[in-house]
Amino acid sequence: AEVDELTELTKPESTVSVGIGHVSRDNQRFGQYTGLNENGTYGLVDLDFVQRDETTGTWLRLNGRNLGFDDRELRLEHERQGDWGYFIDFSQTPRFDPYTVTTTLSGIGTTTQTVGGSATAQQYHLKTERDALTLGFNKELSDNLGLQVRFRNEEKDGERLWGQGTFGTWRFLTDPIDQTTRQIDATLSYTTRNLQLTGGYYGTAFDNSNNVLNVPGCAIFTGCDQMGLPPDNESHQLHLAGGYDFTKTTRGTFKVAVGRITQNEAFATTPTAGAPGSLDGRIDTTLVQAGLTARPMSKLTLRADLRYDDRDDKTPVFTYFPLAGVSGSTTDGTNEPRDIKTISGKFEASYLLPMAFRLTGGVDYVEKTRNSPPVRSVSFRETTDETSLRTELRRSISETVTGAVSFIHSNRGGSDWLLNPLYISGATGSNQVAPLHLADRDRDLWRLTLNWMPTNPLSVSLRLDQARDEYSGRGISVVDQAVREGRAENYSLDASYSFTDEMQGTAWYSVNDTSLESVQCRAGAADACTPGTQQVWGSNVRNLADSFGLGLRAALTSKIELSADLSHSKVRDEMELSSIAGAAVSPLDNINTKVTSLNLSVKYALQRNAGMRVMYIYDRYRTDDWTWANWNYSPADGGTTVLQEPTQKVSFVGVSYYYRWW
Amino acid sequence: EEAKPAADQAEAKAAPKDMVLKGDAVCTQCHDETEVYPVLAIGKTRHGVMADKNTPTCTTCHGESKSHLNIPKGEKDRPKPERLFGMRPTIPAELQVERYFGLFGKNTSTPVAERNAPCLECHNGGERIHWVGSAHEAGDVACTSCHQIHTTHDRARDKHAQTEMCFACHKEQRAQMNRPSRHPIKEGKVACSDCHNPHGSAGPKLLVRDNVNDTCYQCHMEKRGPFVRTHEPVQEDCSICHNPHGATNPSLLKLRSPFLCQSCHEPTSHHSTVPEDGVAGGLNPSTAQAVIMARGCTNCHTQIHGSNNPTDGTGRGFRR
Repeated sequence: AEVDELTELTKPESTVSVGIGHVSRDNQRFGQYTGLNENGTYGLVDLDFVQRDETTGTWLRLNGRNLGFDDRELRLEHERQGDWGYFIDFSQTPRFDPYTVTTTLSGIGTTTQTVGGSATAQQYHLKTERDALTLGFNKELSDNLGLQVRFRNEEKDGERLWGQGTFGTWRFLTDPIDQTTRQIDATLSYTTRNLQLTGGYYGTAFDNSNNVLNVPGCAIFTGCDQMGLPPDNESHQLHLAGGYDFTKTTRGTFKVAVGRITQNEAFATTPTAGAPGSLDGRIDTTLVQAGLTARPMSKLTLRADLRYDDRDDKTPVFTYFPLAGVSGSTTDGTNEPRDIKTISGKFEASYLLPMAFRLTGGVDYVEKTRNSPPVRSVSFRETTDETSLRTELRRSISETVTGAVSFIHSNRGGSDWLLNPLYISGATGSNQVAPLHLADRDRDLWRLTLNWMPTNPLSVSLRLDQARDEYSGRGISVVDQAVREGRAENYSLDASYSFTDEMQGTAWYSVNDTSLESVQCRAGAADACTPGTQQVWGSNVRNLADSFGLGLRAALTSKIELSADLSHSKVRDEMELSSIAGAAVSPLDNINTKVTSLNLSVKYALQRNAGMRVMYIYDRYRTDDWTWANWNYSPADGGTTVLQEPTQKVSFVGVSYYYRWW
Repeated sequence: EEAKPAADQAEAKAAPKDMVLKGDAVCTQCHDETEVYPVLAIGKTRHGVMADKNTPTCTTCHGESKSHLNIPKGEKDRPKPERLFGMRPTIPAELQVERYFGLFGKNTSTPVAERNAPCLECHNGGERIHWVGSAHEAGDVACTSCHQIHTTHDRARDKHAQTEMCFACHKEQRAQMNRPSRHPIKEGKVACSDCHNPHGSAGPKLLVRDNVNDTCYQCHMEKRGPFVRTHEPVQEDCSICHNPHGATNPSLLKLRSPFLCQSCHEPTSHHSTVPEDGVAGGLNPSTAQAVIMARGCTNCHTQIHGSNNPTDGTGRGFRR
């Protein structure tokens, strides 16, 4: 039915779109998360139904997206605005593994898998799928009090690339997945002009239908015939958060939460004699956060925040893995509960200068404390602390130029390093590596952002950032090992131009360059790395990416709209190896990846509220990743291969009819 | 010209009628359906529901703007309204090209705090409790930098469109999203707001949960444990090893095996093995090649996130 112009402009509209699309060839990347991974025809069905009762403010919405694809979504929502509402939401997410597996493994997808069990190798495309159903309800109980409840149930099924191995023998397996994840979040909110509180319960549960993978006949290492699978676990948390405006210029916020995580799944394999039947794992968590923002003078703003996050692992300790006689072991055979406590704080002052410039200075502090197991396999320190000093000059109020330049310097240190005692003998094990997340580190970060609108139709945006990390080692051996220096540089330039009111274009270009330099000593267990005695080698692992995008939107005539987007990424992974002392080191080839995507869409209006849409997508993926291509599992495995096509070019053409109504 | 009937003259002089919102006539008598910019589209949105007593009017957000309504004496041009949220000209929001850029509402001389104030009058509780003091608030991000008000389709609230809007500032993440190992962000199945609350939170990095791991566990709860065999960095912070925004390394790893593992593990036994060239080296996997080819170190250490198998024959190693 014809609608008047005012209705079209002011009333919510509904749309339905129906059509077909065709994928030109089988592929592993283009349709990885949509299900458009096979040559063939697919239905294009989208729906956005909206009905509003003006007298009561009641909405009814039914939204369906990609209903003809494997990543379909459907949502029903019904609400009386400002009073009550509920929704049901269904979302399906496939994930097709990007590799083609050819194997004689039998039992894929089940909990009993036999290596070499099939006479002839068969081809598989492994897949997982998540089906999520979310239910929600909200009710305004009074002018100030609101209730909100969300429940989400997600089923994840399928199989995933997996395996097992020991020196010289590697076998292909699949991880059989049949898992359910549930979350419920119920909150009660109290809101007035000055005080806001929200508190409630957040509960989660993970349920795995498979608790062990049986591998009959496996003897490559002790016990390899039974691979453990993730156990059921659950969590419960009570939380309260709030904000209060002490004055018009001073506001405080807080959050307090206490929780418990438990894991009491019966062991799938028989434990040591005398051991409990389950871990009886329990972790208690506590979060306390408080923030204060104040403007004591019209030009000065102060912000402060303190946070305490404690994970107290109360899981009982038992010697599950008796190691009698293994004097050099780096474990005493017990499970190792992990306590982690994080205390963080920040303070910043920001002052408004002339010409709308704002100068900000701040300090951030993070301290982490961990418990240390009695026997250790890596260098360990119980406490790390990091202090960051930052300053920024920003101009954010201008009709032509806005931007900021900032600098952050961080310094991470920590408590004394703990020596690694070996089991039984108590002798000192290796202590040469300062782990990446525990090592002393100096970090400098520069950042520049600039938004410039030189003329009304042209906008330009520039962003540059450069970070450099310097790590300190243990300082015990002659050569400090593991990570030494990290760098990250990101440069982006964007531009947007309105050719006319009916035609606009965008362009962007980004360079991202990150690298990490490390040193390794091919040593034994001794606490020394002596050039001339041990081989010392270095690596510089670098990831360099160039990306660009182009976009165009145009109303070519009153009936034809054009949309075009092109994006391209070229990524190079370099693994530069070098010999520092001792034997030469073979080079590793780079891995190059290119991803290109062209997306064209033309909409033709047959009438004011209906028309056709034609779309074309061209997707190209190229890689010379050799890490699977040159890999062969052990002969006993039956010669499984895991491969992806190095060049994948896919086209998608679709045509659909749309209809809008009010 | 023939004189109009008295009744018609009276109607012509009558006050203009509201078109969408209560009292909007003072604005819509000029900003009506003839305007190219769809001011009236506010009626399609939740802000256009008159049955809801909380619905604002034009002046709630834009201010009384008396000088805009009645040009002061001596002024040549009409002054702007009291509060402007963006001067993006005449093009309807639905047609604006913002896929890569997203400068929306920035080019206005109205201070950010003034722009945000009318929004915060109502939207100050629930998930926005921590807005004041958050990184976005401190960084002068306006509500209208992200949200589109006069349109039925606010891209910030659409999982399929939201990410491009965030990438307007977070350009590094835009590039990472196109890497081979990634979440289904391009497909709209995972959005920035699944992990981050842009309005502020009690967690780090504006995370929706209280820390990194609790946020990841929303979808990856099988990694939570606790396990009989736990891997310390796994329990501490997923982002020690993973970059959730995308990577060329498998499983969103920040570094490829063995380099990632070697950044913590002592050089005893085989841990500091030099990965040999797998391309020229042929097809017989040696230990050296196994640390970098296929699943790398996890070719053997399968259960790297932890294992609940209480009968590990070797006592450690996450192998079963």
